[in-house]
Amino acid sequence: MGTYVYGIADAEHPGLPEGIDGIGNPASKVRVISGGGLAALACDAPDDLRPKRRDLLAHQHVLSEAGAAGTVLPMRFGSVAEDDEAVAATLAEHADHYRERLGALRDRVEYNVKVQHDEDAVLQLVVAQNAALRAQVESNRRAGGGSHEDKLRVGELAARAVQAQESADADMVREALAPVADAVCDAPQSTGWICNLSFLVDRATPAALADAVEELRQAHPHLVFLVNGPLPPYSFVDPDLAATTGR
Amino acid sequence: MTVATTGQSGGSGGTSGLYDVLELVLDRGLVIDAFVRVSLVGIEILKIDIRVVVASVDTYLRFAEACNRLDLETGSKKPAGLTEIVGGDASESGEGSKTKGALEGAAQTVSDATGRSREEGEKSASRRPSRRREEEK
Repeated sequence: MGTYVYGIADAEHPGLPEGIDGIGNPASKVRVISGGGLAALACDAPDDLRPKRRDLLAHQHVLSEAGAAGTVLPMRFGSVAEDDEAVAATLAEHADHYRERLGALRDRVEYNVKVQHDEDAVLQLVVAQNAALRAQVESNRRAGGGSHEDKLRVGELAARAVQAQESADADMVREALAPVADAVCDAPQSTGWICNLSFLVDRATPAALADAVEELRQAHPHLVFLVNGPLPPYSFVDPDLAATTGR
Repeated sequence: MTVATTGQSGGSGGTSGLYDVLELVLDRGLVIDAFVRVSLVGIEILKIDIRVVVASVDTYLRFAEACNRLDLETGSKKPAGLTEIVGGDASESGEGSKTKGALEGAAQTVSDATGRSREEGEKSASRRPSRRREEEK
């Protein structure tokens, strides 16, 4: 047993979701722990806490409910204090720091943007742009597919060209989207994405980012965008991780 | 102009996008040294594994095959600069629809892979706690 913590808000936060279902099965009820003029959203920690689907969803849900009404510093999933007194003591001890972060993130939400290549479309693009590759593709085709070596030659040229396109596109996307956000942060590396970026934007005007993504989508049909948000500002609670965009 | 976004919106508590932002919930967010953090052993299975371009013979052969299937002359993804090389082509309209089919196929493959990975994640998530309890007894 212990006290599970979802996030930290100002004590004046107008809509902390006290009493809703949190993590655990059966679900623990969310409660508020006060200290240092701040409020922590918390609940009893289950004994067998694991990163299970149900609990990840509950963590996200509690933060989403709280975030809809005001600013919350989201905890990383799975943070457990010894008891409620330890939570209150931590709030009081670091109150100035948390208050500074809450101020910096006031009325801001995170949008995560992942980009993939549409494989056929990107191959079409690099073959069209690369004369040597195109000539080899046509030569193989005339030869009914070409020898094993011919195929490897085409494949290697194509793979190099696609890799170069990946990094060029990643830079291009970042440069195009950063100006419409207050800050940008590299999201954790995960497989399969040519870039995975999080943007901090004003909750009142998310359309600027959405419009910028749509423009890129139209202009670069070989890019596939996955946009998620609004999210609690997970990537921006630690100011060292994020790069401000100078806006 | 609108962009389809998934995930949390307002206070609705929608959950469709959770798996797309798992790495944020697990690797980002506030960490307090005085608190214990849950072990993430075994969480890798939840990550959606979609292929990336790596230099290997398998990749080369797959790309060669894909290039061989490409419609070099026409198609909706044709860069504008290619027009003058190609000139008039009687088969243009038919070829265009073939390209579209291939693209839709690729999108379908991605969503299949995503779906499979989600199911696996759920299965492992529901299996794990009971096994853990047995070990503790």
